Amino acid sequence: MASDPMGSQLRRILSIFFSLSIILPLSSPSPTMHNNNWAVLVCTSRFWFNYRHMANTLSLYRTVKRLGIPDERIILMLADDMACNARNNYPAQVFNNENHQLNLYGDNVEVDYRGYEVTVENFLRVLTGRHEASVPRSKRLLSDEGSHILLYMTGHGGNEFLKFQDTEELQSHDLADAVKQMKEKNRFKELLIMVDTCQAATLFSQLQSPGVVTIGSSMKGENSYSHHLDPDVGVSVVDRFTFYTLAFFERLDMYSNASLNSLFTSYDPTLLMSTAYYRTDLYERPLNMVPVTNFFGSVMKTIPTDSAYPGFLVAHASEYATISAETETARVVLEDEADHSKTYDQSEKGLQHILDEWLKLLEGKLGVKDPEVLVAYGLGSMVLLLTISTWLSS
Amino acid sequence: MADETSAAAGTSTETGAGTESNLRTTKPGTKRLFLTVSVLISFLVGAPFLLKSTEIHRSPLPSAAISSLSDHLHSNPPSFPCHFQAIFLSPFKPSDSSLSLSVAERIRAQLSAQSCGNCNFTVSVTVDSGSSCRHEGDAASAACLWECGGGGLVDAIEGRDDQGIDELLLSAVNERTGGCAGRVYSVFVMEGRDERVVIGKHRHAWMVLKDLDDSTSVGSMIGTVFGDYFMRGGVEKGEYIPVGSDGNVVLSFSLLNSNPSDWIYDWDFQRTGEVLLAPVLEALAPVANITMESQVLYHAPKSSISYWDEKLEAYVVNTRDLPFFVNSNEWHLDTSLSASGRSKVLQFVVYVPSASECPLYIRTPEGEISKTNAFISPMWGGVAIWNPHGCSMQSQGIHLVRDVLPPQELEKIIEIFIGQLRILFGLNSNYVEPSPTFKFLASEKGFTNWELDLLYRQHTCFNLLSSLSTLQSLSTLVESLPRMIVMDEIGKQVELSLEAANLAERNISLGINNASALSSIRARALAEDAFFHPSIMSISYSSMEHYFAIYMPFFAPVSLHVLLAAVKEVKRYFAERSKYLAFRASKLKSS
Repeated sequence: MASDPMGSQLRRILSIFFSLSIILPLSSPSPTMHNNNWAVLVCTSRFWFNYRHMANTLSLYRTVKRLGIPDERIILMLADDMACNARNNYPAQVFNNENHQLNLYGDNVEVDYRGYEVTVENFLRVLTGRHEASVPRSKRLLSDEGSHILLYMTGHGGNEFLKFQDTEELQSHDLADAVKQMKEKNRFKELLIMVDTCQAATLFSQLQSPGVVTIGSSMKGENSYSHHLDPDVGVSVVDRFTFYTLAFFERLDMYSNASLNSLFTSYDPTLLMSTAYYRTDLYERPLNMVPVTNFFGSVMKTIPTDSAYPGFLVAHASEYATISAETETARVVLEDEADHSKTYDQSEKGLQHILDEWLKLLEGKLGVKDPEVLVAYGLGSMVLLLTISTWLSS
Repeated sequence: MADETSAAAGTSTETGAGTESNLRTTKPGTKRLFLTVSVLISFLVGAPFLLKSTEIHRSPLPSAAISSLSDHLHSNPPSFPCHFQAIFLSPFKPSDSSLSLSVAERIRAQLSAQSCGNCNFTVSVTVDSGSSCRHEGDAASAACLWECGGGGLVDAIEGRDDQGIDELLLSAVNERTGGCAGRVYSVFVMEGRDERVVIGKHRHAWMVLKDLDDSTSVGSMIGTVFGDYFMRGGVEKGEYIPVGSDGNVVLSFSLLNSNPSDWIYDWDFQRTGEVLLAPVLEALAPVANITMESQVLYHAPKSSISYWDEKLEAYVVNTRDLPFFVNSNEWHLDTSLSASGRSKVLQFVVYVPSASECPLYIRTPEGEISKTNAFISPMWGGVAIWNPHGCSMQSQGIHLVRDVLPPQELEKIIEIFIGQLRILFGLNSNYVEPSPTFKFLASEKGFTNWELDLLYRQHTCFNLLSSLSTLQSLSTLVESLPRMIVMDEIGKQVELSLEAANLAERNISLGINNASALSSIRARALAEDAFFHPSIMSISYSSMEHYFAIYMPFFAPVSLHVLLAAVKEVKRYFAERSKYLAFRASKLKSS
């Protein structure tokens, strides 16, 4: 260490500062790792003639399971039961093709929300996570900040809405609001929304949250069509958009790394009879660098364990063999002081405030504590006043 | 009668008036005025009653307190007071008196810019070598300064093993740094022939150095111990917080029999596992409320492929196939009964391969066979493969084997699980020594006291920031929906959460790490409960426009009429009155 005056000056400055606390600004949270994949598959239509919507959802369910997402990370919502419908010529079987090669309802189908449980409220509760305490874990979306979520919805839709169960609607701003709340609570890292309904692209027109990529089967003013009719079953068995999506995935397996861009560009408008519109302005990664297994398959980041915790057993044995006096300092938990300074001010100024004051005054004067009784008194006095004045004027 | 005549007179005067239309002889009647004005007044008097009866109950949230605490935490992030002291037990004559400076510089270089829960540290150096006693640097307080007189320690240390030295130094620290024993980290420096550094399982370390003259290298060694290990835990990567939002963690231990027709293994996890793991769970209590459960599953094959390796005469799973090892379709692991909706479940799986793939080993990325035969997945848990003995010698057609996992094997597997638990919580399972002279003592709690302090700091900071941001989001949400009912329960939870957060912050500045960690867990759990309260569903509540749309058709037409009538009547009354007064005035003039 040189002993020049500058150096000693610096050292003196350092000696002044070295014991000061170092205030570091908390930077924005470091980017989280992608941990797991979730899928929320929703079929919103009921009645036998909407067979194809259920077949759509079950086909996608089978695809994501085949690519590795386990049942515990799939939330399947089916609004009606086609497999056991009285009109089904093939009981307990659901097909998505007239060649009947694949039975979608075959084995290992775990439906989380069925029948009348599929409502807009339950759907939004699943997304935002606001369940009653008694709802079991299998019906909850237990994603965390490292999850990629695939949200697939099919049914009948229109301009900025999606019809649920023929009785209610999910509006595009409700969906946008739910996604915004999910993002605030970091319930997902990235979200892929796929919608197969008429005018599907309007459903996500109000989204603003970052990290969301969406694709709809048709644009505003366009319808989405079914693919083909199965003469045996008697109804259309699959929609075009889902049919071509499945055709894309049949060529893949768990290990492949086809990109999302190749999926999105594989849709041919002439074959679909509508324009598959996707929105990437809220998504920062370029689509050709995102493998489809990031959403449709299962990713488990694994790290081999290089060693155990050596000496644990020895330490455990020695600790229990010798009775060593624990000289740790007693753990003191401070009691909170009476911090009853409720400093939240009445932010509702204005008319409400004045009226509240007036009511309080009345309550004080009359010595009545219960507001209901006060209201009754008030109404009674009004009626009295009116009758007196009417009598006087007669 | 009088009224009628006067009224008649009034009207006759009026009708007869041409030039005298602005005079009347009688006082104008007040009945109509009284009637209309009383109706109007009764409306005005009753309006607050109406508003009160249609009011929605909104428990007031302390938004100002929330935003002030949140701003305060963001501008001054919680910093934990740590005091580092270096004690020289051998005579030490530094070439210049800047040892504490070089130590401090080395520590400061280790402060990472991003992680939460940094140390607000002070460094002091003491030379206590029997004859002389010299202090240097800054002590947190007079009580934390090392009392000299420990010169006999060097002799007492001679000939003891590492565990013994650790306990001896612990009692010395407790004796001589009286009030601060739980908050000060110490390094003892001695001179000796064999150089080594041993980091104990409490809050101190000791090093034996050959040459104490070079104060830069001595200072940098001391600074490494303080900065790299005591302050940062030897990890580079970001923090993992595998704790559920209600502060619960469930450790779920499963024994998987891949193919029961080959052999079936059972284990006695109740006894062995619970005895071994009880101290670990107790040590981690300020970080999370941890419970354990175990199960045995059958018919649970893995879903990745393994290859036969001729050289090893065994089946090998490559690192590339590890992500597909966990067969979620057949492994029904998430069947926990004790885990509630918001707890975190960490799975620890022991996999017993079938006869067709036994013995099974994992190959590391470097091409070696893994020593532990285990791997983890962050935020999910870990898997360890256990090969039954002599399985490579099994021939076809053997009868069914039912056996119990030997307790020694189970203990070894639990050692691996403890290592994995440490990695899941963000520490290293074992320390890769920077040089062969470093040694780390293991604790029966799975984590040494200084590692626990590090965990408490990280978790406290994370929980505090997370709970404040949740409360902020909640208050923004509540304000954006003016017609939403805010139940009392939510208000209560928000208040309690703020209280706990304030308490945690106060405890941080006092240095009581485990109490602050407990309060911070409570703050986070309450904030999450309030935010995820099932009644906050925006779709269920109507807007202000809706409220107006309901009540306007009732009241708007009626009140319009009442108002108009009253105004008209008042105007008429005053007009008539002025006429009467004019008449009276003219009468006075003429008389």
